[in-house]
Amino acid sequence: MLTNPNKIAHRKKITLITLFFALILAGLFGRLVYLMVWRADYYAEKAVELHERERSIKAARGRILDRNGTVIADNRTVCTVSVIHNQIEEPEKVIQVLCRELGLSEEFVTARVEKYSSIERIKSNVDKETGDRIREYDLAGVKVDEDYKRYYPFGELASKVLGFTGGDNQGIIGLEVIYEEYLQGKAGNILTVTDAKGIEVEEAGERRQEPIKGKDLVLSLDMNIQSYASQLAVQAMKTKEADSVSILVMNPQNGEMLAMVNVPEFDLNDPYTLPEGTLYQTQEEYQNLLNAMWRNGCINDTYEPGSTFKIITAAAGLEEGVVTPQSTFHCPGYIVVDDRRIHCSKRNGHGAEDFIRGTMNSCNPVFITVGLRLGVDKYYEYFEKFGLKKKTGIDLPGEAGTIMHKKEDMGNVELATVSFGQSFQITPIQLLTTAASIVNGGRRVTPHFGVEVLDEEGEASQIFSYPVEEGIVSSETSETLRGILKLVVSEGTGKNGKVEGFSIGGKTATSQTLPRGSGRYIASFMGFAPAEDPQVIALAIINNPQGVYYGGQVAAPIVRQLYENILPYLGIAKENGDENNSSQSPADIP
Amino acid sequence: MASRAMARTKRKEQSEYYFDYSLLFIVLFLLGFGLVMIYSTSSYEAYQDYKDSAHYLKTQLLASILGLIAMIIVANIPYHFWEKFAVLGYIVSFGMIFLVKTPLGIKSHGATRWFRIPGIGLSVQPAEIVKLCMILFLACLVCKLGKNVRTWKGIIIMALFAVPHAVMIKVVTQNLSSAIIVMGIAVLMVFVADPHYKKYIVVGGIGCAAVAALVFWIVTSDTAAGLSFRFTRINTWLHPETDPTDTGFQTLQALYAIGSGGIWGKGLGQSMQKLGFIPEAQNDMIFSIICEELGLFGAIAIILMFLMLLWRLMIIANNAPDLFGSMLVVGVIGHIAIQVILNIAVVTNSIPNTGISLPFISYGGSSVMFLLIEMGLVLSVAKRIQLKEV
Repeated sequence: MLTNPNKIAHRKKITLITLFFALILAGLFGRLVYLMVWRADYYAEKAVELHERERSIKAARGRILDRNGTVIADNRTVCTVSVIHNQIEEPEKVIQVLCRELGLSEEFVTARVEKYSSIERIKSNVDKETGDRIREYDLAGVKVDEDYKRYYPFGELASKVLGFTGGDNQGIIGLEVIYEEYLQGKAGNILTVTDAKGIEVEEAGERRQEPIKGKDLVLSLDMNIQSYASQLAVQAMKTKEADSVSILVMNPQNGEMLAMVNVPEFDLNDPYTLPEGTLYQTQEEYQNLLNAMWRNGCINDTYEPGSTFKIITAAAGLEEGVVTPQSTFHCPGYIVVDDRRIHCSKRNGHGAEDFIRGTMNSCNPVFITVGLRLGVDKYYEYFEKFGLKKKTGIDLPGEAGTIMHKKEDMGNVELATVSFGQSFQITPIQLLTTAASIVNGGRRVTPHFGVEVLDEEGEASQIFSYPVEEGIVSSETSETLRGILKLVVSEGTGKNGKVEGFSIGGKTATSQTLPRGSGRYIASFMGFAPAEDPQVIALAIINNPQGVYYGGQVAAPIVRQLYENILPYLGIAKENGDENNSSQSPADIP
Repeated sequence: MASRAMARTKRKEQSEYYFDYSLLFIVLFLLGFGLVMIYSTSSYEAYQDYKDSAHYLKTQLLASILGLIAMIIVANIPYHFWEKFAVLGYIVSFGMIFLVKTPLGIKSHGATRWFRIPGIGLSVQPAEIVKLCMILFLACLVCKLGKNVRTWKGIIIMALFAVPHAVMIKVVTQNLSSAIIVMGIAVLMVFVADPHYKKYIVVGGIGCAAVAALVFWIVTSDTAAGLSFRFTRINTWLHPETDPTDTGFQTLQALYAIGSGGIWGKGLGQSMQKLGFIPEAQNDMIFSIICEELGLFGAIAIILMFLMLLWRLMIIANNAPDLFGSMLVVGVIGHIAIQVILNIAVVTNSIPNTGISLPFISYGGSSVMFLLIEMGLVLSVAKRIQLKEV
């Protein structure tokens, strides 16, 4: 048989095919080595990703503290209730319990329970007690995870400044948005190994990536001042039946905001509830009403500042030398600019007066004259130099810009109206900041709330610094103006802002809102103390007061009451010397 | 005394013939190993679906025992006995393909590949019967054709006899891989029967070039073009990550399993991918779970066992007492080798995905039973090898 040539040929071929197959198998083995040695890490990692299901653990958001260390935004433990579709054993009972305990509609819960997904969130920010109760039912497939909810111990205080957070613990408005990156922290994860259907593999256990807590933020805000200012604002709004009242308190030396009140405020712990009796039809309307309620008028809205703006015109005129305190003017009750007759607030005129008197009287023709002496180019130059064209850079979202005539469109009439604070719009914070910068010796400061963030030990891990622009006016001009503004309070239109024993500088304003003749006014008063070396500057704005609407009568008393309380609190020294000091003759001022 | 003397002569007589214990051992090892892996792979899902973690194990164990009994019976019947059934088997197996279209057919995954034997409740894949009958029939045909097998005519006749079955398996049961195996067995047997080389090298070369050209054309053609839609299977093979369909998903999951096994594996029973990520991992993708649990070393052990199996088959084929016996064994070599290679190639994504089981190891009753019957045939051939002559 062996000699049979056919047989030999067959044997050769059989051996050949076997070797051929062996060769292919060796090749496949090579492929396996490649996959299992060189690519092992890649595929193993991919597989782990596939097998692990993540449940995130919220990081505790950083707290917000006021300048005294009082906690004004804190965290409360709340629960998030979720369902895992595949683990649910009694869907009816689950739906029933969740509807009852969470107060949700049956369709809502049913849709989520029946949705085929690895984990479906039913409701977050559930009270801890409710969460514990649900946990006690011990329902298969229902998960109750603890996390944090933002809690504001002061409720309404500084609501529009602080802002609040949403269900995902992310800032929605206010400082909560601006300082998100510091406050937020880093969410952790619970990683559970599951099979393809999402069922946990018990013996595999779970892996935790711990969350990193957010950092605490320290503000310049003083809750005592904020609280007192709020009371005054609420009171004024009530007695004057005003639409809204804003009070700003700042340290003019460095721009630190001590208080920012915008009444009506809203409850930070319940920011989605409109004031009782508010009617709305559509969801869109509701959202608009909410946005209006959350709006921070001091930052987001502009207005015609009126006479308080005369501080700026005065500073420009004094700086440029077109006017001195002793310059004399005559006010017949109006002034004619080009073909227009612009009235003074006192229709029968102030008669002959010097610049100091003119300021004390808040005389429009005086300031129009100063403005015209400067001319459009110079005036515009100072307007920009004082920083009025830029935003203040305050650390709150949505700051509105200045609405001002274009330089090329500005004639004498426009210049005249701008000189006494009309026909253009700025935000209250812009006015306060510019005035502060003029009276503090000429340093344009950046208004701000954020002072520093703290690390876990409570040590400052980052101290914020804000730009300061030196020399927007000379220190002499600043000093002169402080003297004049002190007289405005002690003897002029702002005498209702006088505080016994303290030297106060200030300026009133009464501006009619657009359209003219609507009978709507904005009364305001800006005051700073001590007049010689301002440590605090405040601006009170009453929007649409009923009855008496003059700034000197409506707004100045608010600042007075505020100062009576906070000046001793801030440790500002009483004026030395006798009462006569305040009745210093205008002529003494250089 | 007399009886003892008789026993001695009987033993002596028997010892002149050959029994391949190595082959038997390898087959039993693969079977046993397969059962262990089927239990490891399927227990989790079996418990969820049937509340019995040994559900698949029990079925497979029964099929294995039946198969072993059949193997022993066949091994003890001289293989020439089957010669007279060759034509009958050829026709009957062809007819059986159509049984899946009758009410006996079992539909699963959009294709009917099984039919149920009434009364026993055992499901049978006709493709497995076809493979066995085809080997038997072609072995007979080679003997009948004699020297004609060397001519083009003989070759074409041989191939043509295999075509109807292969086509019907593809068309009726939509089982491309079994069709490929049937054709592969036929081609292999023709190749061995004919002592020439040249024409096979030429044809094989042209075939390889054509496949390479086709793949190249698909790779370079714009995937967004409509024509590549028809070649989804091939696109899925080249980019399993980007394919959202079942095939791409399955391939990718197998790769995850193999890759995460690493050199040493996760340990028996520790696979994660079998927890539903690889659907029905006990079937065609069982090799990926072997890789995941037993690592590269487990994989090489299995490949080595198959190599040894092929080696034993080769020895038997080479020493078979006649051409018929030799060709029978060649057919079995072709069957097992093609199936092992295609299976491992699919699992490692070396070729496009096509459902193909791993002989002796994958779950599947009819597959293991008919493989064991084939082993019985091989053992029967081995028994006729006269040691004296070697």
